[in-house]
Amino acid sequence: MDAPAVSTEHLTRRFGDLIAVDDIDLRVTPGQFFGFLGPNGAGKSTTIKMLTGLLAPSAGRIEILGLDLAAHPAEVKRQIGVVPEGMALFGRLTGAEYLNFVGRMYGLDRKTASQRAAELLDFMQLADQPKALVTDYSHGMQKKLALAAAVIHGPRILFLDEPFEGVDAIASGTLKAMLQRMIARGATIFLTSHVLEIVERLCSHLAIIHRGRLVAQGSLEELRAGVEAQTAVTAPDGAPSSSPAAPRGEKLTLEEIFLRIVGGSRLAEQELSWLG
Amino acid sequence: MAGLNAVPSSLASPEARGQFAAIARLRWCIFVNSLRTLRGRLEVVSWIFVGMGFAAFGLGGAFGLGAASWAIVSRGHVEWLGLPFWAVLLYWQLFPLMATAFTENFDSSNFLRFPLRYRSYFLIRMAYGALDPVNLVASLWLVGIAAGIGVAAPRLLPAALLALTAFAILNLLLARTIFAWLERWLARRRTREILGILFLLIIIGIQFIGPLMGRYGNHGERRVGPLPPLVAKLLPAERALPPGLAAEAIARAAQGRFGAALGALALQCAWGGVIFWLLDMRLRAQYRGESLSESAAPAASREKTRPARTGWELPGISGPVAAVVEKELRYLSRSGPMLFTLLMPVVVLLIFRLAPANGPRGHSGLAQHAGFAFPAGAAYALLILSNLIYNNFGADARGIQFFFLSPVRFREIVLAKNLAHAAVLALEMVIVWIAACVMFGRPPLGITLATLAGALFGALANFLAGNLMSLYAPKKYDFAVLGRQRAAGTTVLANLAVQIVVIGLAAATLVMATHYDRIWIATLVFLALAAVAFAGYTIVLGRIDGVALARRESLIAELCRA
Repeated sequence: MDAPAVSTEHLTRRFGDLIAVDDIDLRVTPGQFFGFLGPNGAGKSTTIKMLTGLLAPSAGRIEILGLDLAAHPAEVKRQIGVVPEGMALFGRLTGAEYLNFVGRMYGLDRKTASQRAAELLDFMQLADQPKALVTDYSHGMQKKLALAAAVIHGPRILFLDEPFEGVDAIASGTLKAMLQRMIARGATIFLTSHVLEIVERLCSHLAIIHRGRLVAQGSLEELRAGVEAQTAVTAPDGAPSSSPAAPRGEKLTLEEIFLRIVGGSRLAEQELSWLG
Repeated sequence: MAGLNAVPSSLASPEARGQFAAIARLRWCIFVNSLRTLRGRLEVVSWIFVGMGFAAFGLGGAFGLGAASWAIVSRGHVEWLGLPFWAVLLYWQLFPLMATAFTENFDSSNFLRFPLRYRSYFLIRMAYGALDPVNLVASLWLVGIAAGIGVAAPRLLPAALLALTAFAILNLLLARTIFAWLERWLARRRTREILGILFLLIIIGIQFIGPLMGRYGNHGERRVGPLPPLVAKLLPAERALPPGLAAEAIARAAQGRFGAALGALALQCAWGGVIFWLLDMRLRAQYRGESLSESAAPAASREKTRPARTGWELPGISGPVAAVVEKELRYLSRSGPMLFTLLMPVVVLLIFRLAPANGPRGHSGLAQHAGFAFPAGAAYALLILSNLIYNNFGADARGIQFFFLSPVRFREIVLAKNLAHAAVLALEMVIVWIAACVMFGRPPLGITLATLAGALFGALANFLAGNLMSLYAPKKYDFAVLGRQRAAGTTVLANLAVQIVVIGLAAATLVMATHYDRIWIATLVFLALAAVAFAGYTIVLGRIDGVALARRESLIAELCRA
C-alpha cells in the first residue's frame, strides 16, 4: 500500500501564548485533490507553511510521501511544488529567466529547464511579453507564473495557498485546467482557498480547520452527511441557526456545510447603520 | 487632475493638520512597536552608537569649519567663506549618494492612496528623513560656521544667519531634487545610458585639464598673492553659485553694501527657486501616480515570442549555484541605482583628482601619492559593495521563501551570492584600476599586487561577517530605488567595525611596507590574512544551513513584509 501523500500527527504550532495550529492529525491519500478550508486566521497558512518546511512545528510530526520532513527536508522538497502566500517570486527577472532559475534550482539541466519554461509560458499565455519583468506583471499573471514555477520540476504533490485569489475568469480557467490534468496523471494537490464554489467543484476530499483545530475531515459527501445528521438531531428542539439552510430536498452546498461547521454572523438592522 | 491644481486650502486646514498628525503618530507607533522585539531594541541601541559616531563627526566638523570661518573673517578675507560653504555643500549632496545606508526611505505609494493634497504631499516628502544623520551633521557644520563668523565679527552675525539659513534650505531642496531626478533617470535604460556616456565624457575631459593648464596657465614663479591661480580663474563662476553667493552676501554686508548683499541673497534664493521648481516637477509627476519601471508594461509589449534562452553554465560550478549567480548578476545589471552606486569609487577618485591644489607641487593630496589612488579606490569599492554583502537576501524580498522551499542547501545559495559579489568586486577593481591609471598614472606593479591581495583578504573577511549579518539582521531592499533605504542598525554597526579592522589593517600594512620600500611584504601579509579569513569563511559557510534554519521564521517575516 502507498504511503500517504501527506500525514501529520499531533501537529502543533504556538506563537507565544497563541496556539495557531492545535494538535492536528491530517491524512491525504496520493491522487487526492484535497481542499483545506477555514475562516481567516484559522491556521490554514500556518499549516501549509509547516507542511512545506517554511515553518518549524512546535510539536508533532510531518510525513510527506512517507518521508519525515524534519529528517529529510531536501528529499521532500524535491517531490513537492509550492505556491506560497505572497508567491515568492523574484521581481526583477523576466518570466522565462525566473522559470529557468527555478528549474535549475530543482536540479533540471539547462536544456530541460529552458524547454519546460518555454512550454509553461506558452500554456499560461505569458509568452508574448518576453522582456517584461515579473514585477511589472499583473496580479493574475504573477499567479500563473507562480503556478508554472511550482510545477516545472514535475512534483508529486502540489501545495497551493489561495491560488485563485485576485485571478480573473480566464486565468482561473487556465489554472484549473492545469490542476485537473495533474490530478488525472496521479499527482496530489493540497489547496487552500476562500472561493468555496471552486473548492466544491475541484476537490474530492476536504478538511476544515477552525481556531487552530481540525473540526471536519473527509469527502464532500461525508461532510454533508455529518452536517445533515447533526441538523436532524438539533432541529426538533427548534434551536435557532444563523447559517443558511438548503431548501427541502436539495443538497447542502459546501458554503452551507462550511457555515454550519464554523458558524458565522449576520448584520443586524441597527448595526453599522452609518454605512447607508 | 483633481487635487493637483485645486489646492487653495491652506496647509493649516483641519484636514491637512489631521493628516500630518496621523502620519506623525504612525511613525511614533512604528517606532514604539519595533521595541517589542529584541531585534528592534538592538536596532535602537545600534543607532545610538552610530548616532554617537555621527555626533562626533558633526561636532568635530563644526569646530573645524567654525575655526576656519573665524580665521577667514578675522583676516579680512570674508569672500573666502565660499570655501567652507563648498565643503558643506559637497558633503550634504555627495555623502547620501556614497553612503546610502544612513538615509531614510520614502515610498510615496504608501501615502498617495489617501486624499492628500499636493502641498501636503510635498511637505511630507520634505519632512520625511529631514532628521537623518547627514542633514543633522551638515546643519551642525553651518552652526559652527555661524559661530565662527559671530565670534570674529559679531556685527556680521545677522547677515550670516540669513545667508546660512537660505543656504541650508537650498541644500535640503537640492538633496531631495538630486535623488528624485537620479531615480527617474536611472529607472530607464536609455537615460541610464546617456548618464553613463556623460560620466565617461567627464572622466575623459579630466585628462585635458592638465595640458590646458600647462598651455594657458601661469608658467612663471608661483604667484605670491591671496589666491592660487586656478582658484582666481574660477572665482567669477564660483561667485555665481550658491556657496559663492552666500559668501558674497556676507562679504558685502561686511563692507556695509547692504544692497549688494541683498542682491547676492536674492540670487541665492533664485537658485533655490530653480531647484524648487525642478523638485516640484518631479514630485507632481509622482503625485499623479507615475510608475518608474525597468521594462515596458506587459500589456503594451507585443514582441514575437523567442525561444527561451538556456541558463548560464559556469565551469566547475553546480547547476543551482550557477543559477543563483546568474539571478544575482541579472538583478544587479537591471538596477540603475545599484550600478550608479557601484560607480561611486570612480567618482571619489575624480573628486580627489579635482581637489584644490594644495601640495608642494600644486597637486592635491592623493595626486602627491598617486600610487595610492588604486588602493584607495579599491578600499572604497569594497566599502560600497558591503551594502550588498551584509544584506545578501534584502533584494530577494518574498523570494526568500523560494530558497527555503527549494531542495538546495543554504550554503550553496550563500556561496553563489558570494561568488556573484566577488565577480562584481573583481569588475570594480578593473574599473578602478583603469580610472586610477587615467587620472593618476599607472600604479606601480608592487602596489597593484598588494592591493589585489588586500582586496582578497577584505572580501573574504566581509563575506564571513556579511553572511552572518544577512541572516541575523536582514532588511528588505528595493534595487529600483536610489539610496534612501536605511540599513539595519546592527548591520551598520557590524559593517563599520569590520571595515575599521580590515581597512585599518590594510592601510597600516601598506604605509609601513611603502615606508620601508618593501611593498612585497604587504602582499605576503595580505595573503596570510586572506588565508586566515578563508578558514573562518569556510567554517561559517559550513554552519550556515543550521543558522538559516534557525532563523527562517524571522528572515521570512522581515523580508516578506509589505
